[in-house]
Amino acid sequence: MRHLIITFVSAMLVTSCVDSLDDYNIDQKRPSLAPAETFFTASMKQLADVLTTPNVNTNNFRLYVQQWATTTYLQEPRYDLTSRIIPQNIWQALYKDVIADLREAKRLLEEDELLPAEDKTTRLAQVEVVEVYAWFVLVTTFGDVPYSQAMDFQNPVPAYDDDATIYADILERLDVALGSLSAGGNGFDNADVLYDGDLDQWVKFGNSLKLKLGMLLADVDTGKAKGIVEAAATNVFTDNADNARFPYLSAPPNNNPLSANLNPAFSSRQDYVVASVIIDKLNALNDPRRPFYFTTVNGEYKGGNYGFANAYGDFSHTSNKTIAPDFEALLLDYSEVEFLLAEAVERGFAVGGTAEEHYNKAIEASIVYWGGSSGDAATYLGQPSVKYTSAPGNFKEKIGVQKWIALYNRGIDAWTEWRKFDYPVLLPPSGGSVPVGLSIPVRIIYPINEQTLNGVNREAAAAAMGGDVASTKLFWDVN
Amino acid sequence: MKKILLLLLVTILSVPVLAQETNVSGRVTDDADGAPLPGVNVVVKGTTNGTVTDSDGRYSLTVPSSSSTLVFSFIGLVTQEVEVGGRQSIDVPMKSDITQLNEVVVTALGIERKRNELPYAAQQVSGDAITTTRNSNFVNALSGKVAGIDIKTNNNLGGSTNVVIRGYKSITGNNQALFVIDGVPVSNANNNSVQQRNGGTGVDYGNAAADINPDNIASINVLKGAAATALYGSRAANGVVMITTKKGKKDAFSVAVNSGVTFGVIDRTTYAKYQREYGAGYGSGFYNADLGQGVGPVVQFDADASFGSQFDPNLMVYHWDALDPFSPNYQQMRPWVGAKNDPSEFFETAVTSNQNVTLMGGSDKTVFKLAYTRVDDKGVLPNSKLEKDLVNFSASYDVTDRLTVGASANYSRITGIGRYGTGYNGNNPNQQFRQWWQVNVDIKEQKDAYFRNRQNISWNWPSATGGTPPIYSDNPYWTRYENYANDSRDHYFGYMTMTYKITDWMEAIGRVAFDATTDFQEERVAVGSAGVRFGVDPTIAPPNVPSFYSRFDQSYSETNYDLLLNFNKKLSESFSLTGLLGTNLRRTRLSSMKAATNGGLVIPKLYSLSNSISPMQAPLEQYVRVGVDGIFANANLGYKEMLFLDLSARQDKSTTLPEDDNSYFYFSTSAGFVFSKVLTAPWLTFGKARVNYAEVGNDPVPLSLYDVYDKPTAFGSIAMFSLPNTKNNPQLVAERTKSIEAGIEAEFLEGRVGFDFTWYQSNSFDQAIPVNLTSATGYVSRFVNSGEVENKGIEISAFATPVESQNFSWTLGLTFARNRNKVVSLYSDAVTNVQLSDVINPLQGSVTTNAAVGYPYGVLKGTNFVFTNGQPTVNSQGRYIATASSAEIIGDPNPDWLGGITNTLNYKNIKFNFLIDIRHGGDIFSLDQWYGEGTGLYPHTAGLNELGVPKRSPVAEGGGIILPGVKEDGSQNDIRAANEDGTGTVFGYPNSPPRAWYVYDGSYVKLREVALTYSLPSSLIENLRPLKGIDISLVGRNLWIIDKNMEYSDPEETLSSGNSTNGYQSGAYPAVKTYGFNVKFNF
Repeated sequence: MRHLIITFVSAMLVTSCVDSLDDYNIDQKRPSLAPAETFFTASMKQLADVLTTPNVNTNNFRLYVQQWATTTYLQEPRYDLTSRIIPQNIWQALYKDVIADLREAKRLLEEDELLPAEDKTTRLAQVEVVEVYAWFVLVTTFGDVPYSQAMDFQNPVPAYDDDATIYADILERLDVALGSLSAGGNGFDNADVLYDGDLDQWVKFGNSLKLKLGMLLADVDTGKAKGIVEAAATNVFTDNADNARFPYLSAPPNNNPLSANLNPAFSSRQDYVVASVIIDKLNALNDPRRPFYFTTVNGEYKGGNYGFANAYGDFSHTSNKTIAPDFEALLLDYSEVEFLLAEAVERGFAVGGTAEEHYNKAIEASIVYWGGSSGDAATYLGQPSVKYTSAPGNFKEKIGVQKWIALYNRGIDAWTEWRKFDYPVLLPPSGGSVPVGLSIPVRIIYPINEQTLNGVNREAAAAAMGGDVASTKLFWDVN
Repeated sequence: MKKILLLLLVTILSVPVLAQETNVSGRVTDDADGAPLPGVNVVVKGTTNGTVTDSDGRYSLTVPSSSSTLVFSFIGLVTQEVEVGGRQSIDVPMKSDITQLNEVVVTALGIERKRNELPYAAQQVSGDAITTTRNSNFVNALSGKVAGIDIKTNNNLGGSTNVVIRGYKSITGNNQALFVIDGVPVSNANNNSVQQRNGGTGVDYGNAAADINPDNIASINVLKGAAATALYGSRAANGVVMITTKKGKKDAFSVAVNSGVTFGVIDRTTYAKYQREYGAGYGSGFYNADLGQGVGPVVQFDADASFGSQFDPNLMVYHWDALDPFSPNYQQMRPWVGAKNDPSEFFETAVTSNQNVTLMGGSDKTVFKLAYTRVDDKGVLPNSKLEKDLVNFSASYDVTDRLTVGASANYSRITGIGRYGTGYNGNNPNQQFRQWWQVNVDIKEQKDAYFRNRQNISWNWPSATGGTPPIYSDNPYWTRYENYANDSRDHYFGYMTMTYKITDWMEAIGRVAFDATTDFQEERVAVGSAGVRFGVDPTIAPPNVPSFYSRFDQSYSETNYDLLLNFNKKLSESFSLTGLLGTNLRRTRLSSMKAATNGGLVIPKLYSLSNSISPMQAPLEQYVRVGVDGIFANANLGYKEMLFLDLSARQDKSTTLPEDDNSYFYFSTSAGFVFSKVLTAPWLTFGKARVNYAEVGNDPVPLSLYDVYDKPTAFGSIAMFSLPNTKNNPQLVAERTKSIEAGIEAEFLEGRVGFDFTWYQSNSFDQAIPVNLTSATGYVSRFVNSGEVENKGIEISAFATPVESQNFSWTLGLTFARNRNKVVSLYSDAVTNVQLSDVINPLQGSVTTNAAVGYPYGVLKGTNFVFTNGQPTVNSQGRYIATASSAEIIGDPNPDWLGGITNTLNYKNIKFNFLIDIRHGGDIFSLDQWYGEGTGLYPHTAGLNELGVPKRSPVAEGGGIILPGVKEDGSQNDIRAANEDGTGTVFGYPNSPPRAWYVYDGSYVKLREVALTYSLPSSLIENLRPLKGIDISLVGRNLWIIDKNMEYSDPEETLSSGNSTNGYQSGAYPAVKTYGFNVKFNF
């Protein structure tokens, strides 16, 4: 009997053989290895998407700067940030989709033993420039965010860093990257959808970004801003051809997110009309960009009432140009650079030229970019209400208003510039059913997920910033 | 030898002794199928004079007088007393007794044990109890019948059922009970999309347990605790529903035919009710346009709300059908009045036809069973249909005295058309009906509008002058007839087994069991529809698509190879030993592909992948294999049938663990004490106390060890790869559940009253699960071994037979279960909360479900009221103030307790039974109310306020609403909040009131089942040979919700089975009352 049992049990043990099935643990359908450049491309697409999308769940900045108004649903134009998970979608896109892929690209580059050292340095610098861009957006949107402890899956509760500290650090990182870009290596080639491997363009892009970052400090630390801006200004965009553009394709899912949400070929929804705030301004200025920005209603440009319901058919919509599937997205453009230089001159920074020259170039670049001619620009600039010397207000108002116009459809950039200049004067909706005490957000509150997943650190950050509310001004937004 | 003795006994007893003695003979049969019952004890009451029935169920007995009473008894059957009453022939049908403690129950691995030997909780339910009300999903019929099993049915046609035993144990892993049929584990997988399971777009395809033919079930045994399931290994950590199918009997042949039809209508108390005073719009007013009869008021077609102008029968306006050229109202103005037919008229009468034939029989060496069932299920939604064909075959053959071989083969094919869309989804008509609707729209007119030309003529034109497609909502009939899903599932399972009796106390069993499903699902959005958020990639939020087609193909198989040595030996006069030694090899393989068109369809109504406007994106492929090898042993030592000690141990090796550390060991130890053996009292029939401790290990889900990349669609010719959302973990170890259980069961007064009480506690440790992370880590989730979840509770089941006489009996069954659940710790001390609801596909309404340390599993979080002196606080506009934080706990979806009361009344041939099913507690957030009150659909958003002024009049005119609560200074609220329009309303989403306001108590008391069965008397049947019995039943299910606190919906309604949306309703379907009849013929 005992013999039988022993035989039986040993037979069982022999048949136990999962150890020979080790490939069961390997996913047969997904790779564990991929080239670094593929992550670089993916991250740039994700970055362009989050900046460009008009999806009400993610990006409502066109509303906050009153370029657009909504037709039916009024939560977002009335600054409700909890009805949808808007903060989480921005946060997640930047951290998980953009920065995580950039970090993976870096990791793979660094581990690549066959790549020549100078090429590696160059490519890492390209990745770094995009990462600085992403951090810039995060920090200027939320304020304090996880930075030094971020991007580490082993730390599920990363502490938040002070936004000014992060800002200073990314500026330093940008300088290092700029140095590396000119060190003589080869960059990414066709994975570089911005410049197709043209490193001179990357240097200009990096410097233009630096100019933009530096100028944002002008109110809070003029001395530091001056140094950064003056250093950058020597090698920035000089032409629309330099623009950092993300070239969307016509087929989903690589089409422009505007088309995915607003083009009748993809969506039946009619959520937005153009706000009267911007249309009235452009009408008053006879702005030649109107046909490129807006549709007409009975031959007129007519804007909806911001913060209230608007019948879709009664008002202008964003133009067909902007909702084309392959309409490119701008990450940074020449017009913006000229506006920055105009502002720099006004602030007494040595960047060459006069404020008016830069202002004129900025507006001309914008008009030409959108489809107008230099003649249109000259006519426009000849108007006393546009002409730099006669346009109303101080330099902040002159530049602020024109930059707000030029940054049409670039909600998040327009919002940041508006926070810096406090021009044009925008007022929150009021009266009727509007809740009491509305104010235009000057930051975005932390995501609900941070409350449920990283609660202690979020609370500390909220306390450090003066409250996790949309009215808390960020460190650079002092005037 | 026994036979000879028996024969001798019969002969001796048959000899007439005294003149007044008479001889009585007859036949004892099984009441259920008319089969003969051998071995039944027949005793003259008050004497030792008796006999047993022969193999044909026949007996013959001499009784002392014609007024004697015969007692018929047999283990597992209801003992019957029959007065002889001068008769010489007495045939007795015997009923099985589900309350008997001596019954044989089927335990883990299909091992039969006497109930008194079991040292752990197991509750058995007979097949009859399951099939009484002809529910085509037998799982739903378990509700209220077994203590400790929480069944949440949804009201979907063939929708998935959540089956959780003794509480949620795994934080994000599987919490569903394992289903085992005749020892074959069968898949209960839910193949619904990630989006569907998280409240987004999708269709509920149900889970595979619904494929089991209820007419094939002999009994169901629910093994609840780890001690009972330890032998099954890892996958049984959540309890096991063991199903034993009907088997043929030797030397008998029977045919049973069941034929039933049920009808279902919606329970209007579980559906939206509509205010009838104000029509379309977010505020008063109409568009003005000339739609045929001159410029006039035009309904705001594009406003998906009913906060518009007050109805006025004297006001002529253009309604939506003025733009429909084929409508009789084309270009016509009609009075501005509410709809005659509201959306509840959209629901049709459900019809289910259930036809079954079962053949069973055997010779002296073989038994077999062959059954076929056909179910046609038409749902309450238009164009919804399920068809099931189920074939079951099993047979066994005694090759020699020692060797028996057996096999079973089962095949089912389920095809569905138009299964219901669920959640926040344009293809779920409840999204428009409950959330975004105009109460001036008559649903029957929408029906006519669609059917005239089968066009998408919706009430929701994009502008005052029409246009296509509709802006938000399709014509709901278009949705049902054009944008439907269809699917099929082929399910095969069966086994081959060989049993060899080595000695009279030991047998070896070899068994190969196989379970396989092939699923095919097609989803579509027709050209001309309002966009629906549809996609195939679970890692990104789905895009809005104008038209769409997707197909999903999946094949799944599981094979189990078992080798068992079974012992059953009497060691001495006092000691007995039963036990087993075995191995199990399990291999599963899942292969699937989901592909979809991109950018819409070129040719309308052609649903093929090649009909894609843009080039198709890469399909989503899965290939997942698992291998688990286990060895196990069990011994049950008995002492004088009084003390039992049970020990089990198992070691598993799993491929889902890291190769160098892939085995894990666990055990159970249990003791039972039949105290009625020592404590003899006339009133105590049986009593047993039991206690056990067990551990069960569990392996991680497959492919969670090594990192892989996502591959987004290439950017033109430029390849892109991206990090996945979830970080895998090569250091995962097996998780473990430790449980302790104690119980007492007893029967009194000759089995007329009894109860079974169990206390348990289980703690699950080191769960190998993906936990959500802040995306500041670069991922949204990561596999870790996480924390501890504790469940403890009590279960009581009790029965009583208050009345029992020859013609009338009344039995009462009761179940009660209370589970307390707590998340004790998570994977790191710094982590106090894990969000359960998906991060990528979040729940609408900004609420989350969570595992929070120190709180019950699954708590709902969102904004709460701001309380002042315990009262909700309002702001200066009279609206409730919400907390700034969305991480306030606003609800606990776990019920406080569950209960069921079964009543069975027998009067002669008539049996009446009903079941009351109770759920107490369990919170639910209603997205339907959140949106639907905000759009002014529900009655309390209109009507008069306490001044007698319409709530929707301006506050200056005495309108508006004073919400109960206090002002910020703590004084009683007297601020009249505006409720004039859909942007200023106090109700619902528009001004983001506290989410806690939309959390409801999910308690209910339901009259779950009612059945009246009439068995034709044998005197009638005599003339209908070969018929042996006819039972006619009238049945009803869910006929009456006796009590509930959710005004407009069924608190039981869920989105899907799983963890993430427990306590969340969106686009909820109404409960369906079903009633019908069934006829059962036995041959």
